[in-house]
Amino acid sequence: MDQVETAQKIAELQNLIEMSGTINMEVFYWWCTGLMVIIHAGFLAYEMGASRLKNALASGVKNILAFAFIIPTFFFFGWWIYLAMYNGFTPDFEAGAAGLPWSSNMGPNLADNASGIFWGAFVLFAATTASIFSGAVIERIRMSSFIILAIILGSVVWILAASWGWHPQGWLTVDWGFHDFGAAGAVHMVAGFFALGVTINLGARIGRFAPDGTPLPITGHSVPMSIIGLMLIIVGFFGFLGGCIIYTTGGQWTTIFGTPTTLSSISFNTLMAFSGGIIGSYVITRQPFWMMSGALAGIFSAAPGLDLYYPPLAFLMGITGGIVAPLADKFLTNKFKIDDAVGAFAVHGVGGLIGIVGLGIFSGFPNVIEGAPAISFMGQLKSALVMASLGFIPGFGLSYVMSKMGALRVPPKAEEAGLDLVEVPLAAYPESVPATSQDPSTTTTNGSTVSV
Amino acid sequence: MNVSPITTWEGAEAVFTFADNPTAIMIILSLSMAVTLGTIIASVKHENNTYIDYK
Repeated sequence: MDQVETAQKIAELQNLIEMSGTINMEVFYWWCTGLMVIIHAGFLAYEMGASRLKNALASGVKNILAFAFIIPTFFFFGWWIYLAMYNGFTPDFEAGAAGLPWSSNMGPNLADNASGIFWGAFVLFAATTASIFSGAVIERIRMSSFIILAIILGSVVWILAASWGWHPQGWLTVDWGFHDFGAAGAVHMVAGFFALGVTINLGARIGRFAPDGTPLPITGHSVPMSIIGLMLIIVGFFGFLGGCIIYTTGGQWTTIFGTPTTLSSISFNTLMAFSGGIIGSYVITRQPFWMMSGALAGIFSAAPGLDLYYPPLAFLMGITGGIVAPLADKFLTNKFKIDDAVGAFAVHGVGGLIGIVGLGIFSGFPNVIEGAPAISFMGQLKSALVMASLGFIPGFGLSYVMSKMGALRVPPKAEEAGLDLVEVPLAAYPESVPATSQDPSTTTTNGSTVSV
Repeated sequence: MNVSPITTWEGAEAVFTFADNPTAIMIILSLSMAVTLGTIIASVKHENNTYIDYK
């Protein structure tokens, strides 16, 4: 074999390796995206179970519609925001061009194996933010207002936060050294604080507080359904966290910030934090709804450093999240009379905050982006404030305007009748519930049994 | 209707329908946006009608 033939063979082999790597990359993110759909199966079960029977299907419709509207709107403008807005509020039109909805990259393109698969993964992150928000406002928000708020959160606000702090050139990392492996800021804090802002203007469900302000329990119609839903969310988060790692052909995995890592690292720390979250909430509440919510809070409390923590430290971070989340929810309910129906702010907002500030406490790791400082406490703290503001201000502001227009909440009589009867031409349990219902305070209309 | 942007797969890049026709792309995109927005507006009207009985 002469030198020319050898060179040809080597070139062919290089092409083969590169193409195999590219296809492996696509396969990896394809299945991460598929797993993330399970998050939404989980949220669906979780929120329907947490709703009273009279609202079970309406809560499901709301959850499904959030998913449906996020996908096209993220295509229309969400992906462009991510690619273009990493500097702050000044867009980089050149970088954003590939994300414009009429770009040749935004459709089947044999020269681009990356755009669609990353867009898909980010759409699922976006839908996750909307689902986080969704649970807080069940049983009284107007469907149309919810859809608008979900679009603003999922296709504008969170992705702007991601461009700033979950992007290879995001200004929070370039200027402050911000590090957040698992998007505790852009996804969880932003969605949690957005939900808090909306629930303040939305108000509590009728009957949630006594006239003297004492909180009264409103129990969902199927706690087991909620608990299984929460476990499904955990399953889906393995896809979510897989989607947070960058596959590089012929090289080591990296975080979205370019720092090297391994899937093994994420495996150690995700499982340890998950376990810690359950134990933390068990110690405080002794009940399974919060144990599973605590598992989520535990993961978010370690999410920024899943690539860096010594696993027992991730376990302790998880325990912290699992303890603090139910206490934060109780404090918010008792002190401020906030009716967050599923504790979304406490689990996601507070869990994410613990995670970001926690990595600031255990920091010092260098960044690889040119000119970026090392991870530091002040960098993490300031970035956490940015994330909280990015979530809270639009959530509060928009819902305030909607509230003033009388467009945020369903009328009290509709709320009392139940949103399934008012909005959904289907009964949740058409056979079993009328047959077993002996309560004279219920009426049956169109096959639905409704508490009055 | 021939909507293919390519005549051969050799060296092909963007292969989706109307990829070589910006006018058609803009029409389809605008329709998609209009349907999305229209559904939300229709929801608002539907709710307003529905809630009349509950005011």
